[in-house]
Order: sequence, then structure tokens, then C-alpha cells
Amino acid sequence: MDDKSQLRARDFWASLGLIALSGFFIWQTTSIPLQATRVAGVSSVQFYDSAAVVPYFIFGALLILSLILLANSIVSGDAARALSGAGIGLDCAEIWRIGTIAAAMAAYILGLVPRVDFIIASGLLITALIWGYSTGQAGRMGLAAGAVVLAGSYALIRHLPQSEWNKPHDDDWVALAIWILLTTWALTRPDRNRLTRAMPLIAVIAPLILVTAMAFGFRQNVPNRGGLIFSQIERTYYLDLRPLWSQ
Amino acid sequence: MDYFVAQLAGFWGAFTGLVLDPVTYLYMLSAMILGIVFGALPGLTATLAVTILTGFFGNKVPIDYALIALLGAYVGAIYGGSYPSILLNIPGTAASAATAMDGHPLARQGRGGEALGLTTTASLIGTLVGTAALLVFVWLLLAISSNIASPEKALLALFGILLSGTLMSEDLAIKGWISGLIGLAMAMVGLDPLLSEPRYTFDWSYLLSGFQVVPVLMGAFAVPQIIEGLRTARPGEMLALTGRILPHGRTILRHLPTITRSGVIGTGVGALPGVGEDVAGWVSYGVGKSVGRDGANYGKGSVEGLLCSETANNACIGGALIPLLVLGIPGSPPAAALLGALKINNVIPGPTIDPAIIMRVVAIMVLASITMFAVGLLTARLFVRILKVPPVAFLPVVMVLTTIGSFSVGGGINDLYLMLGVGAVATLMNAMKYPIAPLVIGVILGGLFDETFRRSMLLSDGDPTIFLTRPMAALFLVLNVALILSQVPALQRLLTRRGRVLS
Repeated sequence: MDDKSQLRARDFWASLGLIALSGFFIWQTTSIPLQATRVAGVSSVQFYDSAAVVPYFIFGALLILSLILLANSIVSGDAARALSGAGIGLDCAEIWRIGTIAAAMAAYILGLVPRVDFIIASGLLITALIWGYSTGQAGRMGLAAGAVVLAGSYALIRHLPQSEWNKPHDDDWVALAIWILLTTWALTRPDRNRLTRAMPLIAVIAPLILVTAMAFGFRQNVPNRGGLIFSQIERTYYLDLRPLWSQ
Repeated sequence: MDYFVAQLAGFWGAFTGLVLDPVTYLYMLSAMILGIVFGALPGLTATLAVTILTGFFGNKVPIDYALIALLGAYVGAIYGGSYPSILLNIPGTAASAATAMDGHPLARQGRGGEALGLTTTASLIGTLVGTAALLVFVWLLLAISSNIASPEKALLALFGILLSGTLMSEDLAIKGWISGLIGLAMAMVGLDPLLSEPRYTFDWSYLLSGFQVVPVLMGAFAVPQIIEGLRTARPGEMLALTGRILPHGRTILRHLPTITRSGVIGTGVGALPGVGEDVAGWVSYGVGKSVGRDGANYGKGSVEGLLCSETANNACIGGALIPLLVLGIPGSPPAAALLGALKINNVIPGPTIDPAIIMRVVAIMVLASITMFAVGLLTARLFVRILKVPPVAFLPVVMVLTTIGSFSVGGGINDLYLMLGVGAVATLMNAMKYPIAPLVIGVILGGLFDETFRRSMLLSDGDPTIFLTRPMAALFLVLNVALILSQVPALQRLLTRRGRVLS
């Protein structure tokens, strides 16, 4: 089966999704006033300058284009293949690769970044992604993503409310322990290579430079200022280093 | 004549101010090196370089310095893409895809050094041609643009989205349009620009101010790139960089007509809204193959073919800045990221833009092209070494960069959620061959389209003929309709048959 057939089969599902999406948003748009009304002597908008007119145009056009895409998929005869995994070109190895990366990214953004020290969270992510995806082994990918998901889930579940995000907690220590374990595991494996040996250096230096440059160079807000390592850096900077050159 | 003298005097003032400031070199050199590295590493792109730097410098340093960093990285990344094209036969960026056609055969013939030297020189001349066009035409167009009112702006924004969707789509044009419409739909979120009516906020206060540009850019361009690149990459066979890099003056002079033609084509393609450097490279290559003296040898290691694509993709940068500065409509995906930086600095492109900013942009472009030439020729052998670094070593760092860049722009953790959501949508769209650039251009131009369309209708008391009675608006309307009709299969078949009959 050629790529075009797979694309047309995928278009079948994509068009159905887009039809549902445009239908939902057209329904949502009905809550925005469209017709002119007069309340307490004050005229509201006319239909042509209502906040709903452009969204109706956009979602209407999206609906029409989705129907054309659906018709094209059916006419080409490839929609019939859309019900089988092979028809839409599902590749289990690729799904596993993308799925594990997505899980690691989601755990990093949703669980770790708001709650755990940025250097520890990023170091863990960098270690997991470099080690997990450099050889293409499915087991490694699962273990690497699992490490990030474990640390992220722990932080998310234990310290869910926003009021707890910036306080130093045990989640920093848990993430650090997982990071050290993963690094040790990677470095003691017999199949380690130059990239694996360079990995701990990249994982420590990159987030350290980035977060310090952002916080003290550009004077910007950085995630989790109360984190285990960053709070110590900030303390040292303001109490020990800054006075040296401000004098 | 007075006009050109005045332009040159204005440019000279801005240029001397730029080169006499020592801080300039700090930003320019670091951005240029970063840009070349991003361009040279397959898996990273020029758009990503400008996007990441927007997150870093966007609103954190004065706009004058931020522009140096962003334009320096833009020029460097488009040029840097030629390294792997020539030595690995893998384009570093989409803009350099056509460069590989003749660059790699030249390297196979042991002329890799010569090919790299020629691309460096062609990129310098291309950037300067595009910048000269920017200097001359931006003022003429700005004068005209003061007559461009809401109806014209609305139709031009729509044309930009449609054109970008048509030309950037690898599969069906309709997919590019759907991508643009999704972008437009995303721009509708938040308070509407005329009546402050909340739209699609789902009672979440963060959404009242709409989707922020930087997290959308990061999510759309960085996240799919990271997911796509994190795999076992078999290192390609890298050819040795042999021979002299500094090109011979005679070779350049002999090919000057080709370089000039390609520079003009690149600038023209760049000036089209939403069309990027890759299209410029291929169009110039195609024209060169048809009209060039050496056309028969294109693809076999033709110097002329190499110069065609490499001059055009760099000339495209200056061209892409023309609609950006005149109308606020980006001429290419990296220009869309640049517009994001202007927006977060409250610089509004168009007739009211501060002329000093335009002159500064021109001066930065000239300095960037000279810096690129010097850095390219002096450090080419050094940069070649980074081609051996596997994407899996640097993409995780890019993920951390985008995270902190998105976070620090202002919206905090909510911006990261937005980045992740847009990244998921963009990855899905990539898998189904929907182009991402029209989505971003839709997000950026959505507000402009909404506001100007409704204002036009308000001014005409709901009479839609306002889009026909104004000559410029009618012209843009015809362009929009023609673009849509040109993609209807039945009409395409009819036109092809007519063409055959006529020929």
C-alpha cells in the first residue's frame, strides 16, 4: 500500500474529528450574541460586527473543508482501509516511541516543572531522553520514560494544589534519587558509549546555565524558585556574591 | 534620485550607530554562531532558532539588541543549512534542500571546500540583494500602505493564510487551508478586539487574554521537531572538506548574472506572505535549470545550480521582512517568529512603525551578512565537526530551552500547558501531513483579520460590497478567489487540457 492510500485513510478519521470539532465550536458560538437587541434603551451589536460573525465564518469554512476531505477520502476508495491498523499505516514501534516521549514530556511539564527544582527536573528529563532514545531499544524507551513519569506522578499526586508548588518538598529528593539511579544504571551498562558518558555532564550543565542565565542575567522569572538546588544558588548569589560587586 | 540619497544617508546613520556600539558584536557573534549551529544540525531549523531566541530575548533586552540576536540567528541558520546539504546530502533546513542537489555531487568530486566557499559568498550576496530590496521597497510600500484600510488588510491577511497553506502543503492544498483555519480559530480565543466579548474561554481567566504567541510558536515548531528527531540516527557518510574554501573572484564574476537573478527571485518569493526560504530555493533552482547555460548539468555538481538555491534562500530573508514591516504579515515562518518578538515588545508593523526600527533592521541585516561571511569562511572547518553530533544529544536540551523560554515570557506555567497542547496538535498534524506554518500564521494574523473584517462591515453598515468597490480590495478579493479556484481539481484539469490544446 502506498503512502497516498495511507494518507487518504488517515484523512477519513481526521475529517471526522474536524467535523465534530467544528460542530462543537459552531454550537459554542451560538452563545455569543449575533442579532441586534435593544436592552434598557441601549442598542447592542448588529449581526455584521458581532463577535460571532468571524468565528461562524471560520468554523463554517472548517466544516465545509472537512466534508470535502471526507468525500475525497471516500471517493478515492481508501476510506475502506481506515478501519484497519495497517490501512492507516499504524506502526507499533513508532507509536511506542512517540507515546513514551509524550508521556515523559507531559510528566515533565505537568508534574515536575511546577513542583520540583528546575535543574533536577530538567537533568532527569535530559538523561532519560538521551539514554532512552539513542539506541532505539523499546525497553530502554519504556524505562527512561517510566523514570520521568514516576517522578512527575509522585510530585503531581503528593503536591497537587498550587499553594504547595513553590515550597521545598520531598518530591525534589525523590526526583533527584530517580535521576541518580537512572544515571548510575546507564553508566554501568556494558553497552555504554561516548554519548552515555557525556550524558551526565550535559544533564547537569545545560539546565544549570540556562536557569542561572535566565534568573540572574535576564532577571526573569524561573520555575520553582524554592527548589532544592536553585534556592541555594539564589541564596549564595544574593547573600555572598552580589555584595562583593555592589560594594 | 533624492529618494535614494535620503535612503542611503538614513541607512549610513543607522549602520554607523550599530557598528560603533561594542555590545552589538556580543549579540551578533553569539546569535550568528547559534544560528549556524541550528542550521547545520539536521533536526533543528531556522524557525526554531528564531523562536527559541524570541523566548529568550523577546522582552528581556531592549528591542534594538533583541533584533540583532533574532536577525543574526535567522541569517546564520539559513546559511548553516548548507553544511550538511553539501557534506552529508541531508539538508540542515528545508531551505537548503535544493542546495544538496548540486552541493553534494561537488563534494563527491573533491570540491567540498569550493562548494562551501561559493555558498558562503552566494549567501552574502543574496542577503545583501534582499536587504537592498527591503531598503528601497519598504518605504514605497509604506507610502502605499497608508491607503490600505481595513477591507484591504482583512483580504490580505486571508490571502497570506491561503497562500501559505497552498504552497507549504506537501499533500493536498486543502490541508494547508485547514491548518490556517485552525490557527485562525485559535486566534479567536479570548476577548474580542472590538467589543471585548469573551469567546471560548470556558471560564478560565488565563484564556481571556487569548493565546500568547511565544508558547504557540514553541509548541508548533519545537515540540514536533523534538519528537520527530528523538530516534536512532544512523550517521550519514560525511565527506571530507577538501580544497580551498575562499572562492575565486573570477568564478563569482562569471556567475554574477545567475547570482543576481537568483537574488531577485528569492526576494520576490520572500515578499509573498507566508512563503518561506525553501520555496525560494526550489523556484530559483527550477528557473535556473530552465534558463541557465549549465541547466543540463544541474543535479550533477553544477556550480550554477548550487548558486541558484543558496543565493535565493538568503535573499528571501530580506524579502520576507518587507510584508512583515509594511503590513505586519510575515513573509516566512521565521518571520512569523520575528513578528512574535515585535508583538511582545509592542512594536506594531505598518504605516505607523517607527522609521528608526526599519533602518536598524536594514543595518543589522547588512552587518549580519558580513558577519556570516567572515564566520563562515574562517570557521567552516570547525563547524563541520558538529555535523557528527547525533540529534538525540541536543534535542533534550532544546526541550529544556523551549520550556524555560516559554515560561519566562509572562504567562508562567499556563503558557507551558499551552505549549504542550499546541505541540500535541502539531505532532498529530505532522503525522497526517498538515503543514504547521499556516497554523502559526493563522494565529498571528487571526486578530488582524477579525478586527479589520468587522470594522469594514461596520463602516459600510453591513454592506459586503465594500470589498468590491475599493480597487485594492477588489484586487485582493480576486487574488483570494483565484487562489482557491486554482486548487479545484476539475478546474486544474480543464486548464491543463486548454494548455495542451494551445501548445
